[in-house]
Amino acid sequence: MTLRRILPYLQVAPLTLVLALFVVLPLGLVVAVSFWRFQFLVGPVPDFTLQNYVDLLSSETTWRLYLSTVKFTLIVLAITAVLGFWISYFLVFHVRNLLTAIALFLICTVPFWTSNIIRMISWRPVLGKEGLINQALMKLGLIDQPLAWLLFSDFAVVVAYVHLFTLFMIVPIFNAMARIDKSLLEAAVDAGASRLDVVWNVVLPLSRTGIALGAVFVVTLVMGDFFVVIVMSGGLSGSATSGIYNDVQIQNYPRAAANAVILLAIVLMMATAIFRVVDVRRELVR
Amino acid sequence: MLTPAGRRPWTFYVLAGLFTLFVIFLYGPMISIFILSFQGPTGGLVFPLRDPGFTWFHALFGQARTGDVGGAFSRSLPLALVVMVLTVLISVSAGFAFRRRFRGASAIFFTAITSLIVPGLVLSIGILVTFREVFGLPVRWYSSGLAAHLTWTLPFGLLIMFAVLGRLNPSWEEAAHDLGASRWQTVSQVLVPIVFPGMIAVALFGFTLSYDEFPRSWLTVGSKNTLPIEIWTMTTNVTSPALYALGTVTTAVSFVVIAIALGSIWVIQRRRSRRG
Amino acid sequence: MKKDMTPKGPTAAGGVSRRSVLKAGAAAVGAAAGSGVIGAPMIWAQNIKDITLNHTGMSYSTLIDIARKATEDLGFKVEMAVTDHAGMVNRMVNDPTSIDIADTEIWQTKVYVPQGVTQAVHTKRIKLWDKITPLYTQGVFAGKEVSRQGDSPYEIMYRASKDATSFHDGPTEWATFLPGVFNADTLGIRPDLLGRKVDSWADLFSADFKGRAAIQNIPTIGIMDAIMAMEASGELTYRDKGNPTREELEKTVAKLIALKRAGHWRALWNTFDESVNLMASGEVVIQSMWSPAVTAVRTQGINCVYQPLKEGYRGWGNGLALMSHLDGLKLDAAYEYLNWYLSGWVGGFIAKQGYYISVPETARQYLTDNEWGFFYEGKPATADITSPTGEKTNSAGDVRDGGSFEERFSKVAVWNNLMDEAPFLFAKWNEFNAA
Repeated sequence: MTLRRILPYLQVAPLTLVLALFVVLPLGLVVAVSFWRFQFLVGPVPDFTLQNYVDLLSSETTWRLYLSTVKFTLIVLAITAVLGFWISYFLVFHVRNLLTAIALFLICTVPFWTSNIIRMISWRPVLGKEGLINQALMKLGLIDQPLAWLLFSDFAVVVAYVHLFTLFMIVPIFNAMARIDKSLLEAAVDAGASRLDVVWNVVLPLSRTGIALGAVFVVTLVMGDFFVVIVMSGGLSGSATSGIYNDVQIQNYPRAAANAVILLAIVLMMATAIFRVVDVRRELVR
Repeated sequence: MLTPAGRRPWTFYVLAGLFTLFVIFLYGPMISIFILSFQGPTGGLVFPLRDPGFTWFHALFGQARTGDVGGAFSRSLPLALVVMVLTVLISVSAGFAFRRRFRGASAIFFTAITSLIVPGLVLSIGILVTFREVFGLPVRWYSSGLAAHLTWTLPFGLLIMFAVLGRLNPSWEEAAHDLGASRWQTVSQVLVPIVFPGMIAVALFGFTLSYDEFPRSWLTVGSKNTLPIEIWTMTTNVTSPALYALGTVTTAVSFVVIAIALGSIWVIQRRRSRRG
Repeated sequence: MKKDMTPKGPTAAGGVSRRSVLKAGAAAVGAAAGSGVIGAPMIWAQNIKDITLNHTGMSYSTLIDIARKATEDLGFKVEMAVTDHAGMVNRMVNDPTSIDIADTEIWQTKVYVPQGVTQAVHTKRIKLWDKITPLYTQGVFAGKEVSRQGDSPYEIMYRASKDATSFHDGPTEWATFLPGVFNADTLGIRPDLLGRKVDSWADLFSADFKGRAAIQNIPTIGIMDAIMAMEASGELTYRDKGNPTREELEKTVAKLIALKRAGHWRALWNTFDESVNLMASGEVVIQSMWSPAVTAVRTQGINCVYQPLKEGYRGWGNGLALMSHLDGLKLDAAYEYLNWYLSGWVGGFIAKQGYYISVPETARQYLTDNEWGFFYEGKPATADITSPTGEKTNSAGDVRDGGSFEERFSKVAVWNNLMDEAPFLFAKWNEFNAA
């Protein structure tokens, strides 16, 4: 009985240790430094000032960048959630052989094994003015000028995000769906429910943990990204954290740290909102 | 399954179509880089393809100025494998812990979420300073680099375990226990088979997230670059299709690994069905 | 040196394997020959071959070929570690002992020197110090004073003592770093697609190239290109282009934003390969560019020109700094390496990617007359010119864009820099990205 009681603590101990040493401790430093002052040609100077926060939060640029990042997040979230749901549904409920399902699932993961940077670059020969899509459309006579908005645009950013992040939706949804008792669905169909009714009333509610977790992945990945948006927009769009890289280049740690803390607070709120809708931890404890 | 065997519902065809389109979307640009990796010596990073050959594959593994791809790979691979194993062990273990109520659960859960969110570049500096100033340890890919990668992979692993363990009926464990199974038997005979596919997912994430991580590796791997950093610095100097050749090689290796993985699952399944 | 490869070194006697013996022998001979060439005190210590020097820098100058050649010539191991601009300074400050030799840009010295992570280079220990171009050491070139707009090399060149954490006005025996590679940058163009002549920085803003122009997204350098274009087009005259005021920066970034909204920029590029692709694919016909990127486009057989402009060039330079933790034998080895660096091979190698070395005359021994004439003297090539990797970049008869070394550096208008208002610039640049 005592073992039963201390068991969860033992089980969670390794995770706690890693988080304490490598997240809480460094993050504590980051939070402390965010109240420091930056002096040009000297570096970060210990202090207690709210100036970094005031500067960032009172700047229109900050808000515009967050707005644009949130816009990307919502678009990508919607697309990846729909794709992730139906692809998982297909793999779990339509592919009869488990091994085939796993094989198809793995096929979705292979591109994921190639460097993100290379995968982003790989869109250029496809979307560019001289790229495959423009050439094909021109040959077909559908357009006579190459479409410039295919690359270095918001469109290109969304395409790259969907390409890079859909898997983060598929994996948790697939795993959640795999747990659904298939006899439940048969019972519903036997009772005369239509296929879409079953999806809406049975499958969707039972996969909500997966969807919520996938949403958390996608939201954090897009909100924290600074790289995809810069490369795919050709530097024409920024992201919430795009200032960080430049600031750390000249040791302006205080402003970079404050920027990181603000992002953390905003995204934590978004994640909490998602967990309000679906309490993923409640689903575990029975 | 919803219909008697043999007859596919119409949704099957619609979704099979969607799936195919998705796979084309995933592989389309990859295929263009596979083709372009066979560029001739004067070819560029975009079409057209000029006198195709193996120039850039040679360049990749030869002693040319395409960066130290071999060395970077020899660090990234073991690092990703270690991160993968640790991620599976730690997240599976923690996942089970969260099936019971315990004090501090919320704090640990939200710290894990925080770890997922915090911008990698900033955390990278934080971990570097922590290692050097707080622990007094040198910064290496296999120490601070490993730690930095775990802060990235563990939240993913933990959350996937939530999806895997959600609605896992505790009565199965109890039944096994009541039937006289030891704790170890319960774990190995009842739980492992149930969570096994989930563990594969965690392993996959652990491996690829580590193998591909740039921001958190940035300052934590020390003077020996891992592959994504090497590739990033390559893009600041090298412009040859060697980058594409690298993508092609990586993908080819992935397919081999997956074939091996699938093969072993198939063998395990057959053995198990024979035993059962 | 190949001829001398017979095992002569102290380790040759045992002979475990032929290969290791050859290596050790060559190393010992290399050390002797290397120091012989440059006349530095010979280091015969047996344990010097156990030393490994780590040379960390950015990819354009931290070339693996240099480490290989140095290792071969010097008898101890030199390793190259490549990082990006931001990683460079952050590694130096937060992880100083992981680096031995830091290959940094001029403006980066202003970030790390105050942090006290480097020791000054003792000029008396640099054999060829007096041969180093006065561009670095005296702030003059071809008899004329070099532009002081921006961070000119001379301004940061000296410190008062070995461990001083500020710069010294005027020469001392303690140099901030060993002057290394440098160049003068301008705009890259595609003459075949432009449709007209380009001879001014103002053309970067010209409506003729709307939707076909690009600028680099690295704020410290991108802003310089913008400032050159602003002044050339008569929009604004700067008090000091290398150190603009907030008001000047506001106006410059406002112009960049207006152009962005008007669809002028096809892209802002972040990495070298992006600039090459933009140019090679023809998406962009005029843009900020670095010299090796022009070379890379040309190796694809595409006509890309590094166009000299009447307002002059944007200069930049690198140097090798010694990290503070170096001492004893390792410091001796580091000085051996610095001396080797100037002894010619490096200069010859990097000339082929369009860069200059601080001691050009030693580089000459490692270049053919054709190459020397083409790269340094502005003469037409007498035979094909190749890149460091052997691809053809120019044909016989071609003249290097911008002419001779002297012509080019007489026309440097402004230097890459870290301006006093850099934190403000970064905030404004972020605004440009967000617009």
